[in-house]
Amino acid sequence: MKQQTDHAADDGQTIQVVMIGLGDEKFALDAAIVREIIDPVPATKVAGAKPFVHSIINVRGNIVPLADLRLRFGMPLTEASTDTRVVVIEIPIDNEPVFVGLTADKVYEVTEISRSDTQQTPRVGVSWKPEFIRFIAKWRDEFVIVPNMERILH
Amino acid sequence: MSSPDWTESFRQESSELLETLEGALLDLCDQPDDRELIDCAFRALHTIKGSGSMFGFDKVANFTHEFETAFDRVRKGEIPPTRELITVALAAKDYIRALIEAPDSTDQIIGDGILDDLRRFVAPSSEQETASPQPAASPVAADEDTNDDTDLAGWRLHLEFESHILRNGSNPLHLLDDLCKLGPCFAVALIDDVPLLDALDPEECYLKWDVTLHSACSRDIIDDIFMFVIDEMTLTVTPLTRRELSPAALTPTPKTPAPRTAIADPTPPPAPKEAERAQEPRREEPKRSDDRGIATVRVQARRLDEMMDRVGELVIAQARLSQLASASSDPSIKIIAEEIERLAGSLRDTTMGARMVPIGSLFGRFRRLVHDLSLELSKPVDLITSGEDTELDKTMIECLADPLVHLIRNAIDHGIEQTAVRNAAGKTDKGRIELHAIHSGAQVLVTVRDNGAGLNTARIRAKAEELGLLSTDAELPDADIHQFLFHPGFSTAQTISALSGRGVGMDVVKRTIENMRGSIDMATRPGEGTTVTLRLPLTLAIIEGLMIRVGEGRYIIPLSAVEECVELTADDQRARGRNFLNIRGDLVPFLMLRDMLYATGAPDEYQKTIIVSTGETRVGLVADQIIGSHQTVIKSLSKLHSDVTIFSGATILGDGTAALILDVAQLVTLAQAHADKQHLNEAA
Repeated sequence: MKQQTDHAADDGQTIQVVMIGLGDEKFALDAAIVREIIDPVPATKVAGAKPFVHSIINVRGNIVPLADLRLRFGMPLTEASTDTRVVVIEIPIDNEPVFVGLTADKVYEVTEISRSDTQQTPRVGVSWKPEFIRFIAKWRDEFVIVPNMERILH
Repeated sequence: MSSPDWTESFRQESSELLETLEGALLDLCDQPDDRELIDCAFRALHTIKGSGSMFGFDKVANFTHEFETAFDRVRKGEIPPTRELITVALAAKDYIRALIEAPDSTDQIIGDGILDDLRRFVAPSSEQETASPQPAASPVAADEDTNDDTDLAGWRLHLEFESHILRNGSNPLHLLDDLCKLGPCFAVALIDDVPLLDALDPEECYLKWDVTLHSACSRDIIDDIFMFVIDEMTLTVTPLTRRELSPAALTPTPKTPAPRTAIADPTPPPAPKEAERAQEPRREEPKRSDDRGIATVRVQARRLDEMMDRVGELVIAQARLSQLASASSDPSIKIIAEEIERLAGSLRDTTMGARMVPIGSLFGRFRRLVHDLSLELSKPVDLITSGEDTELDKTMIECLADPLVHLIRNAIDHGIEQTAVRNAAGKTDKGRIELHAIHSGAQVLVTVRDNGAGLNTARIRAKAEELGLLSTDAELPDADIHQFLFHPGFSTAQTISALSGRGVGMDVVKRTIENMRGSIDMATRPGEGTTVTLRLPLTLAIIEGLMIRVGEGRYIIPLSAVEECVELTADDQRARGRNFLNIRGDLVPFLMLRDMLYATGAPDEYQKTIIVSTGETRVGLVADQIIGSHQTVIKSLSKLHSDVTIFSGATILGDGTAALILDVAQLVTLAQAHADKQHLNEAA
């Protein structure tokens, strides 16, 4: 593992990511957009909102929409467990920074992945819209998806 | 005073002072006899001069000194503050501002021109006073005062410092030294208050001084010495006339402890004029402390935001504590929890209040605008403001400034007619612009009303046709035609004036207001005037809300929209397809919030109806439970929820969860659209 990160740092093409699990899949969120990771808090449903941003939560006195990527990716919903977390990210929407909470079934770790390990998104074999995916990278011999959050939430 | 950037402090301070000055000058236009206003303007000038020279803004100090010297004649009542004089004084004030903010972009010539004007207004005889620029506390100024008060031979001063003065780095002895430089000076320390050695705190100042100063200097020079400590001391200055200058008074008083009475020996009553001057410090003192009472502290808005967030977290943590405490059997924990609940609550209210600014601070700025415009266009105009106490978030106030400037300019330039035209129409000479602000539900309404000619619908229409926005045969209601005014590049002004008519303006106004999620209404009556109403949401305003429960969710209805609450009878509930209530003989339609909010959970047996009014319409909203009134901080919803219209925002409840605020007007619109569709379906 150590060797791997060292190598990645050498070629200068690494990005720091937060590894989260959604269902059976693992996603790598660019650490630069992650603001904090909090325990699940009671959410308030917003009637009439888009299904994947169905609720709002209170994060340190701010009203933050809670997005569920599983709905966006057409993945089955699972019950909240002790591993469930909310990852608060900040992304620009119409040139304005917007905070969004993402429900994650599990948060693994903060790590570095190398862009040299990245793979082109294959046209087939992926059930998600290609525009939702920034690229696919390898992490511990697994393929992880680096999602394009701006596209997904727009 | 922890900021190391003194220059910046000076800039901020003088900006406030200049505003005070401007306000006082404008007030003087209407009340030229008000001594208080003249004094207020003079004090502001004096402080700018003093701190200007202290911080190295020599140009500012010199110019202000000239300004002050000229204005001094007004203060002395020698010349009245005429309208023309005030116009020049305002120009001078602007020049000072320019000198402070952008010294490089101003030119000496402009300043000299203004000074020449000033001198012209303050009698030609004053020439020798103003001829050469003098630094503050110049001996020339002293001479001038001597001429006025030939009888003056010196001053009797009584100095009492606040005990903490030494900690601020002020040294009373230096001030005494400065006094000594003015002339022969006898200072007697009053040691009555010095405690025993055991109780003596070396950092406290226990001494007071009585000083007899034999100098013909002016009062201002003495005030200059104490300028920076005047708020932390009591300074009593009594003039000493020559008559009092008996040899006895000149006998040096012993420096050793002297009974206080020996010094404070009452002098024969001074001449009437002297008496008036002697009263000045006493009159001035309480006023000063008043000013300090409402003085502002500049805090970055960002810090207030952060503070608000922290308080939000505190309230949530406190709610958890309260929950734990109520489950606990330990009474002492309960007491602490209650105490913290009270403290957190009041801290929250204070913090919320800190971000709110009365709109009056904005209205104040327009007085100058109206004053200048009415001179420029020679249309006498009165500005009447009301609702200045209406509080709005600070950022909203900032955003509102530009649109209102445009609207007021338009009103004066296009709306208000020339005096001759007004007279012909049987109107008063003076035009009137009214600025009004009021809270209305979850909105703030800001109204700009003029009593001018009103919009010329025909001309707007002609222009719209000319620009190809409208076909000649199209039939449009007047209100729709007026909307063309908001079209970019639309102007009906026959000539482009310096003020308006370029066609940029109204569209900018509209865009700004819409960016603030507000809307703009326009009403006009030919010959009577135009009213422009800006409806603005309160992004972070506190409203009184009614908390209700629908299914499992809690919602807030702005209390101002609520008329009454009634219980929905079983009959009403059963009568599906006939969603009307009978409220004292009036038919009021009702909406099932459960349906509109997709509520889950079993409905309560006794449904409640909240009758709300929006515009002309009254509607009942059916909820499961009415929880009660709730102080609501409105937080706007995220951009991701901008497609949801039925909520005007959200708020955070005491237990840390979020609750949505219902937008009553939108709910009704949505319900109407829904009903229309249903009718169509039924018809089909």
